[in-house]
Amino acid sequence: MRHYQKSSHASYHPATLHHARYPAAAAAEDPLQRVVRLASGSAIVIFSVSTCCMCHALKRLFCGMGVNPTVFELDQDPGGGEIERALTLLLGSGSALPVVFIGGKLVGAMDRVMASHINGTLVPLLKEAGALWL
Amino acid sequence: MASTRRVLGEPAALSGISHHLPYSNPHMLHNHPPDTSFGRNQEESSFDFGELEEPIVLGGVKINKNKTKETLYSSVKASAILEMLPSWPIPRQRESSKSGEESTDSGSALIKPDSESPISTKAPSDHHKTARAAAEDDSDREHDDLQPPQPPLQSPDIQMESARTGVSQSKSAAKQTTEKTLRRLAQNREAARKSRLRKKAYVQQLESSRMRLSQLEQDIQSARSQGLFIGGRATTGNISSAGAVFDMEYSRWLDEDIGHMSELRAAVQSHLSDGDLRAIVDGYVSHYDEIFRLKGVAAKSDVFHLITGTWVTPVERCYLWMGGFRPSELIKMLIPQLDPLTEQQLLGICGLQQSSQQAEDALAQGLDQLHQSLLQTIANSSLNDSMHHMVIALGKLANLEGFVRQADNLRQQTLHQLRRILTVRQAARCFLVMGEYYGRLRALSSLWASRPRE
Repeated sequence: MRHYQKSSHASYHPATLHHARYPAAAAAEDPLQRVVRLASGSAIVIFSVSTCCMCHALKRLFCGMGVNPTVFELDQDPGGGEIERALTLLLGSGSALPVVFIGGKLVGAMDRVMASHINGTLVPLLKEAGALWL
Repeated sequence: MASTRRVLGEPAALSGISHHLPYSNPHMLHNHPPDTSFGRNQEESSFDFGELEEPIVLGGVKINKNKTKETLYSSVKASAILEMLPSWPIPRQRESSKSGEESTDSGSALIKPDSESPISTKAPSDHHKTARAAAEDDSDREHDDLQPPQPPLQSPDIQMESARTGVSQSKSAAKQTTEKTLRRLAQNREAARKSRLRKKAYVQQLESSRMRLSQLEQDIQSARSQGLFIGGRATTGNISSAGAVFDMEYSRWLDEDIGHMSELRAAVQSHLSDGDLRAIVDGYVSHYDEIFRLKGVAAKSDVFHLITGTWVTPVERCYLWMGGFRPSELIKMLIPQLDPLTEQQLLGICGLQQSSQQAEDALAQGLDQLHQSLLQTIANSSLNDSMHHMVIALGKLANLEGFVRQADNLRQQTLHQLRRILTVRQAARCFLVMGEYYGRLRALSSLWASRPRE
């Protein structure tokens, strides 16, 4: 798993998608279930694409707030395409990435995250999930 | 009458010329003063004919004569003028009568602004049709179909006599009047002819412009089909580009903004009830929602137009951030003007300033990464696969729309949050301050543009 190294003071750690190898005999996990599982694994989870600038902007937003998000770079995972499609279904609109989950619950794409930050609901959510300490 | 004229004069740049076009209304030709000098003194026209005289060189324009006519006409009422004019008697005499009677035909109608033309020369004029009479609009003769009563004319009797005898006691006086009249009427004819020529010139200009426009449209289409023009995703029609359409919508939005501002000002000063004030305040928020929606549409077709900022004034352009205003700067400007605020409100607003600042920083960093990545793509392309890299670069460039959209989203959310934190009355004053602030920036641009230069 490659490390995200866009900035020298990277304050989020890249996550390993827990099944790096395709399960041979076990039933393939439904992408949506996988999303849920991954999202519940950390206080704040971002599904991103390593080359996407908007995803970079979102990561910088959380870093600026002093938050360490868990980032899944879908372009670096064989099952990434499926996850992206599942996310598109969840959100109900195209071009889903980046997508944020806080405390296992879906917050949304960039515009929803910005809106919730401006209207003051993002910080309490982060605190509640334990991603942010005053 | 004045209003009809203005309708014709719709294109501002051509308003002067179009005012002279009489084709839509026969009355206009008659009420149209032959010279500029007349126009200034009649309530109908409000433009300076004289300004047009110079650029359109038609030859034989005698402005001196006009000036003398000006004093004459300004001091004499229309009915009195008519009393001086010959009517029936003149046609009897051949050499001067022909011109005189046609002049009467056109002149009298021209001079009397009312719809009634008291001097009816229908019958005699039919007999004497010259080239000049034929050249005049048919509307002239239509006009004369009205058969109003003949006003008491003193001089016609005298003129009739003089026409018959050729020599009489008051012949010199009558002749002098007749000469003046003839001169005047000749001026009328001149002016009418000039006006016709001007109309022809204008129409020709229109035709050539139209051809040029269709040529340009064809060029754009061919360039677009060759893939050189990227903003063709949302075709807003072939007449104007998305940028031009947005500029039009934005100028309309600015006009509406002025309306909202005066409404807010009046509401705040007149101490309306909270309910009524709320409607006005919420209306202003919707007004801003509308421009954000329009910008979203424009961003799809031509994001560079929004970013480059030709749609705002130069001073505003200095402060343009991602195609619009910077929310944190706006909040910073507003805070001292919003007094008195409760502690909770102050906390909320400072929090708003901080969160908008953070969001702006994040977007700026994302955009910066886009710029870097784009430059790298273009710089790194070798000779072989430069086209491939260009395609990749194009894909990256497409992300610009997303950033402008997020920036507008940020602006919109900031305004909504501001509305939530403040009371109705505070919000009204807040929006007044905001509108005034941006209005001053725009005014500064105008002042700067018109400043005297050495």
